[in-house]
Amino acid sequence: MEQMYCYKCKKCGKLHHPRYIVCQNPDCDGREFEQLPLEGKCKLLTWTRVYNLPEGYMCPWLNFGIVEFENGVRATGQIGFDDGIESGMELVSTVGVVKEKVIKYKETVVEPQYGFIFQKA
Amino acid sequence: MREVGIVGVGHTKFGKSPVPFLDMCCQAALEAMDDAGAKTGNKNHIDQVFVGTMGAGMVSRISGAASAVVDTLNIRPAMAETVENGPASGASAIKLGYMAIASGVANCVLVIGAEGMRAVTGWEGTDFVATMLHPDGEYKYGLTLPSLAGLFTRLCMDKYGVESKDLSIVSVKNHANACHNPNAHIQRTVVLERITNPAYINATNPLVADPLRQFDMCPVSDGAAALLLVAKDKQDEYGFGHKKFVRIAGVGSATDTHYVANRAVPTDLLAVRLSAQMAYKMAGMTPEDIDVAELHDAFQILEIVESEEVGFFPRGDGHLAARRGDTAIGGKKPINTSGGLKAKGHPLGATGVSQVVELVKQLRGEATGRQIEGAKTGLAINFGGFGNNVCATIVTTK
Repeated sequence: MEQMYCYKCKKCGKLHHPRYIVCQNPDCDGREFEQLPLEGKCKLLTWTRVYNLPEGYMCPWLNFGIVEFENGVRATGQIGFDDGIESGMELVSTVGVVKEKVIKYKETVVEPQYGFIFQKA
Repeated sequence: MREVGIVGVGHTKFGKSPVPFLDMCCQAALEAMDDAGAKTGNKNHIDQVFVGTMGAGMVSRISGAASAVVDTLNIRPAMAETVENGPASGASAIKLGYMAIASGVANCVLVIGAEGMRAVTGWEGTDFVATMLHPDGEYKYGLTLPSLAGLFTRLCMDKYGVESKDLSIVSVKNHANACHNPNAHIQRTVVLERITNPAYINATNPLVADPLRQFDMCPVSDGAAALLLVAKDKQDEYGFGHKKFVRIAGVGSATDTHYVANRAVPTDLLAVRLSAQMAYKMAGMTPEDIDVAELHDAFQILEIVESEEVGFFPRGDGHLAARRGDTAIGGKKPINTSGGLKAKGHPLGATGVSQVVELVKQLRGEATGRQIEGAKTGLAINFGGFGNNVCATIVTTK
């Protein structure tokens, strides 16, 4: 999967990310969603640079952020650059490999995971 | 409902355990049983055991831990269930123990919380803990608990003016308290200047998840803690009448969004507030009634924000209260007299039980070197996930 999505409730129109089974609008009980691309400009709400990464990462650190897209949907992802990261800055979303390997029962297997990598706008 | 109280406590030395998981559980359990005078075999009165643990199956390779404990302790045929609720597994086990007795299903319950964290490498342990994050929206990106705490801390700094030094003040306080707790993982005084001076901070207190540094988060610990619960109407009959009855006055728990980015107010810990309010309501108490508290400071920012969400201080003032010394022993709201997760350690499933062990010692007047004089009521907050499942417990001798 090289496209990220948000999910529009077919009953009330609320947008969701990530995927839910039941609409998160407290006044709606919708269970069907329209899958729409989630991409483009977004605002960085907060960020961190993490040095103690879990099993499976060989890089010295990773940058993570929470962003808000222009349609109001928020998402967490990696930040693809190191210099000049500031809360409130404008970013643009791209999609790339965020994890090379996954841990399954008793073994680690190569199975690229795709997700948001935010870049400078 | 029946009155339920605690008549026995047990606690292993937190840190790197010299014994395996099951032995840790039994060591804490026997200490609690001996404390109360509870017997095994034909003289056993324990009719239910709950073991709270997050990763016994994943890390220690023991599933169905409660069944193994019952057999090892020779208290068959007691009912036995293992409880998994992330880092709040311990408090969930206490809540279930309370419910079992209050409802009349059981009369005497042994509650154990335990975790073996140091049997695996740091990378494996970090990955194990991170499995509680949202699988598609957080975990697959490499996010960890420190990552979410770093994101949360920066938001609190931007909104409320919390400074890095405030986190260090909380850390120094909890390390000082732990020096008086023989079961604490780290019994070492930490000097504020040494972990905050810009000239050498990157050497003495390196960044882990910017803006969080090493002294802004808990260590990785093994450990177990245990409580013996009994119905008030059975205390004398079972031979526990000589022990002070520390009543469980209130329990509460609440949940919040799994995906942290979707919280309406990203700086709120809603499940902390709701669980505390539930426990206060059940106890017929308010924050003013609390003499001593154990708050879940896996990250020092959490102690600050939790102290606001449970009603001790106005929102945004928790760091100012820490600066004033309000949360130190001798302050108006002493928090984490045990040393907290920061210095006592945080063996995930053990923590919720360990917090209540400390409160019981305080209410009995047995917290040597760290005693809050005249303490009669205590509050514990056990924080699961990154605040998506929180349990509150109020105990009292009133």
